[in-house]
Amino acid sequence: MAAVEQIGRAGRAAPRPFWTVGRLRVAALVVIFALWEIAGASGLFYRGVLPSSYLVVWALLGLLTSMDFWFHAGVTGLEVLVAFVLGCSAGALAGLMLGANRYVGAVLEPFLHYLAPTPKIVFLPILLILFGVGMGSKIALGAISSFFPMALGVAAGVRQVNPVLLRVGRTFSLSRFQMVRMIYLPALVPSLATGLRIGLGISIVGCLMSEIKLSRMGLGFSAMEYYRVFDIPSMLAVLIFIFFCAALGNVAIDKFVRLPGPQDRQKRKWSGFTRRFT
Amino acid sequence: MTIPTLRLTNVAKTFATGGGSVRALEPISLDIRQGEFISVIGPSGCGKSTLMNIVGGLIDDYEGEVQVDGVPVRGCHKSIGMVFQEESTFPWRTALDNVAFPMEALGVEREERLSRARDLLKLVGLDGFEQRFPSELSGGMRQRIAIARTLAFQPRILLMDEPFAALDEQTRLLLGDKVLQIQQELNQTTMLITHNIAEAVQLSDRVLIMSFRPGRIKRVLEIDLPRPRSSKMMGGERFGHYVAAIWEDLREEASKGLQEMERLRAGG
Amino acid sequence: MSDAAIVSRRSFWRPPPLLARLGVLAGLLALWEAASYAGLVNAFIAPPPSAIFASFEMLFVQEGLINAFVRTFAEALAAASIGSVIGISAGYALHRYKMAGLAYTDWVAAMASAPLVLLYPLFLVIFGRNSATIVAMGVVGCLPPIILKAKEGLDGVRSVLLNVGRAYGLSRWAMFSMIQFPAALPTIFSGVRIGLLFAIINVVGVEYLIVFGGLGQMISDLGDRFEIPGMYAGILFVVLVSICFFFITEKIEKWLLSSK
Repeated sequence: MAAVEQIGRAGRAAPRPFWTVGRLRVAALVVIFALWEIAGASGLFYRGVLPSSYLVVWALLGLLTSMDFWFHAGVTGLEVLVAFVLGCSAGALAGLMLGANRYVGAVLEPFLHYLAPTPKIVFLPILLILFGVGMGSKIALGAISSFFPMALGVAAGVRQVNPVLLRVGRTFSLSRFQMVRMIYLPALVPSLATGLRIGLGISIVGCLMSEIKLSRMGLGFSAMEYYRVFDIPSMLAVLIFIFFCAALGNVAIDKFVRLPGPQDRQKRKWSGFTRRFT
Repeated sequence: MTIPTLRLTNVAKTFATGGGSVRALEPISLDIRQGEFISVIGPSGCGKSTLMNIVGGLIDDYEGEVQVDGVPVRGCHKSIGMVFQEESTFPWRTALDNVAFPMEALGVEREERLSRARDLLKLVGLDGFEQRFPSELSGGMRQRIAIARTLAFQPRILLMDEPFAALDEQTRLLLGDKVLQIQQELNQTTMLITHNIAEAVQLSDRVLIMSFRPGRIKRVLEIDLPRPRSSKMMGGERFGHYVAAIWEDLREEASKGLQEMERLRAGG
Repeated sequence: MSDAAIVSRRSFWRPPPLLARLGVLAGLLALWEAASYAGLVNAFIAPPPSAIFASFEMLFVQEGLINAFVRTFAEALAAASIGSVIGISAGYALHRYKMAGLAYTDWVAAMASAPLVLLYPLFLVIFGRNSATIVAMGVVGCLPPIILKAKEGLDGVRSVLLNVGRAYGLSRWAMFSMIQFPAALPTIFSGVRIGLLFAIINVVGVEYLIVFGGLGQMISDLGDRFEIPGMYAGILFVVLVSICFFFITEKIEKWLLSSK
């Protein structure tokens, strides 16, 4: 009896490591922050190139309370939204068609496959001619950029639907429509989610790059203006805001585009929440 | 004379492949009565899965005829239910929703289909697990969900294609008992494909032994063991005799299959 | 499924996919050419294919297409090389130190889809208006996929191979160079390949935005001067070169995978 108790106690004695995930992340942030401050103050770089974080935060607050900023944010936000919706829905439809029909897929998909890694920014001059200097060309570039990964991802997703599940559907004599609604669509959700996440990032990049090149509005334009007058803290503040929104968008897609599963059942107890950060 | 629940008349199949054609099945005829449990056993490559797919309707161009209750059928039909060897539960549906799936497709009312699904889950021994997702359950439990889902369709004939092949031995034995229990309770006509001789003897009324490709029925063995059966009788003497008799027939066919594979690997 | 297999399934005749592709391409070009001459399409906005091909000569001679190409790809290759060294080392670190891997892999994955190209003004002020900025942007762009794939590749090395190394008492460097790296090479290469493609995209993008450098600058200049056919030709050239790179590296990757 005593021997068993001893073994039990020994088994529980494994020490928890000091560097947990949460602590590592905090440490990394602290180190990055410290390096930034040191580099900025060191005089290695031209004065003002790496401004102290205090200045950046101050600039960020200034932006968030400025009507001008929110106007530009709204313009970019609208461009990204429209580009994202257009590009991803067109991409999803194309992907469905390519994945559903073997022959069509074999003929047309290589076009997408080989065009996908080309730098879409090179199409901007054509789009500027077609759509002018306004929001149209920005939306067009964002949409074209996000079309490709979405189409390829969905096409792959359709082909990768577990064939056993399709056989199950056939044995129950499901109609075509039922097969799509009850089997294909749920099975495609992971591919759709991945495509949407990548598509969002690419739409943002596409819209911003075209704003930077030639525009009178939007956050890309703002950032360039601040750069031109060498207001680096404000420029960095705009960039930080953009990164933050991109991250938020990703989290939102993750939350809303997912299959039902056991994670729904796990209640987020407060202790579980804090355990993540220590 | 009563009409057999399942009748195969000269069912045969030739596959067209890149290099020519392969005769998978020679004409097979058999009758299965209501409530019977038939096992089809044979070496790898004998065409038993082809036979299963033909009866189940996944292959619809073949020679011969399949009749259910005297009515000829071809292609997938709601009177024939199939359970597959691989994982076939829908990962995005709970156990209950998986079992309710075929009824949902048929348009059965929500209350009714959920209550029937609950009954079926109880039948396969999974009551209490209705709200679990397949990812939270073991392989044996997932196969039980698949069986319950197929039964939800109320098929006249239940086809099972090596449903326990992916499970470990102990789970397989316990599930075998479970399947027997269900089959007896529902008087469900069942056809099981397996390569496990003990399983065939444990579960069936008759065992069909198939020859190596091209597949035909080499012998039909009546298993005259008392019902209700269970895995407990596996050590018994008569059980051992049946197993030995089947192996006697199978060994010849199985070694032909092995020679063929080695020949292909060496020369082909 | 191979193209040939698809053909044999059909009961009525269809052209093999490769021919069908060429047919589609030829058809579209012919349509465009015809529409241009018929006046249906504004020849200024979308010049006919014949005009575009004709301007290639001008690009070679006047614009120094070859030089621009060499410059762009030198920058991209430099970026990918630097990125590979840093990335593979970082990937190894994430693999070796499990906690760090758990902590930082998600961050790296997030970086992969973040609008990193926006950092270019920062690099511009740090490095000034020269190639260093462009290469730095390329490095930043190609790091995430290389790091992720390197970690993935190293994680995937079968433990039986590692046990063999340990049985021989190999040093850490020997383990890496003789067992881990070769075993993980296909995955690492696929990461380097994606990294190279991202580097090209970033390099061309920044060249275009700051109008400094090789092909990106060339396209921007042609657009500014309204040399429309030449501009289309330049764009087409970038697309073709990118396709070539993608295709070649894909073949190498397949070869690496098959020889495992």
